[in-house]
Amino acid sequence: MRPRDRDAAYWLVALASPAALVLLWDALSRFGLVDPLLLPPPGAIAAALRDVIVDGYAGVGVLTHMGVSLYRVAAAFLAAVVVGVTIGLMRGVHSKVDAAFLIPFEVVRPIPPLAFISLFILWFGIGEVSKILIIFYSAMLIVALNAQAGVAACPQDKIRAARSLGASRWQAFWRVILPAALPQTMVGLRVALATALSILVAAELLGGDRGLGFVISDASTFFKTNDVFVGIILIGAIGFLADRGLAWLGRRYVHWEGRS
Amino acid sequence: MSAAPPLLEAVDLSFRYDAETVLDRVSFALSRGEVLALLGPSGCGKTTLLNLIAGFNLPGSGRLTLEGAPIAGPGSDRAVVFQGGALFDWLTARANVEFALSCRGVAKAERRRASDRLLALVGLADVADRFPYEMSGGMRQRVGVARVLAAEPRVMLMDEPFAAVDVQTRETLQEEVLRINAATRCAIVFVTHDIEEAVFVADRVLVLSRGGGGVAAEFRVDLPAPRWNALNRLRPEFLRLREEIYLTMKDGLRPAAESRHAAA
Repeated sequence: MRPRDRDAAYWLVALASPAALVLLWDALSRFGLVDPLLLPPPGAIAAALRDVIVDGYAGVGVLTHMGVSLYRVAAAFLAAVVVGVTIGLMRGVHSKVDAAFLIPFEVVRPIPPLAFISLFILWFGIGEVSKILIIFYSAMLIVALNAQAGVAACPQDKIRAARSLGASRWQAFWRVILPAALPQTMVGLRVALATALSILVAAELLGGDRGLGFVISDASTFFKTNDVFVGIILIGAIGFLADRGLAWLGRRYVHWEGRS
Repeated sequence: MSAAPPLLEAVDLSFRYDAETVLDRVSFALSRGEVLALLGPSGCGKTTLLNLIAGFNLPGSGRLTLEGAPIAGPGSDRAVVFQGGALFDWLTARANVEFALSCRGVAKAERRRASDRLLALVGLADVADRFPYEMSGGMRQRVGVARVLAAEPRVMLMDEPFAAVDVQTRETLQEEVLRINAATRCAIVFVTHDIEEAVFVADRVLVLSRGGGGVAAEFRVDLPAPRWNALNRLRPEFLRLREEIYLTMKDGLRPAAESRHAAA
């Protein structure tokens, strides 16, 4: 679908479809077709959302829950970007560095990060450290892989052009290889961010008394299904805003992507 | 009179890729200001030879020198114009040119002046602030030429620079290369598979044989100045030379198996 084919009718359908879904959902609970304890009506969820925003959850303000989750994911994600980009670029540029990381990375890569979470809790306790480390670990692998792929995607002609114009190897790296790797690296950041958020929720389900994952897990334990949905909506909002933010950064700083 | 070494000299230059001989004992010399065309079918090693001159690869055997000094790696004295342009997509036309200037350590204020002058020289003064993806193929190649001139090379190396642009633009660009050659006296090694292009731009044409046989023939082009005169393409001596090179390449360069097949 090319963007210019998206006329008024396209957007009408695009907006009508979720509206229809919400109406269907509302009808299901209104006519008693599903147990509201399992699937509360949209209105009840909206009311619960308002209550949580005003009064907080489990005696803790909503901003604290969100702030704790954001802090965990942001700290882990930023560290993953720094470490992952560095490893990925170095693997892409230097065959010895690539060789050093090859087998360890390939061994752990197919293992779902959550498989390690019990181990992390054993090693680092149930607190912040194990949560942040598991998010860092899963995001870093993705960032490193994409940064390396970005270097590999840099056409040899461009590196040769730089060198033949008098650039040193160092200048060619900073001024040609690095920008050429940027588009694929940005893709990696977006995928890594989505992964980081899902690992965050899983890590928070396992323990603690703060964070949106805790809200979801605690509410489900006490059958407060409304509040389960509230937690889901809030984490979804964070994910959406963060992804839009990265997409905006991408358009701003990787303006040439797909156009050259 | 003790002769100064030629600007660029290759003596018995050979290059192998894996077990395959790509270049076999190629010798030639290039003098200052001269335009030399390396002509041949794909696979004849002409780009390999250019890559050796550029210093991207080192010769297996033989000697390759610039002003008497062996070529040991890439450098701005042998800057390359690539077929696809190889422009930096994240930089404007001006910034692409200034890249070469900053590599030479030209001060920032002077860079601006120099890039203005070079972009005007290739006819791009009005689009200096466009990015490569906002330019046509011909404009991108002009930026490639301006960028190489900014490096102030002793030899400008051009690797099928106009193969991907339309015929009319290609002819205009060929004429501009000759004007620039006349204005700067910068020598040029021009790789092409197009006989007409080779005859129009070059003072001398080296025909390389298919399959790594080395230099098959050499032709001196003798056309009246100014060489960028488009009407040169219609002169009898131009047409005669074109035909002669065509026949040489048709007869002598085809591997035996293929010519038998063609005759059958």
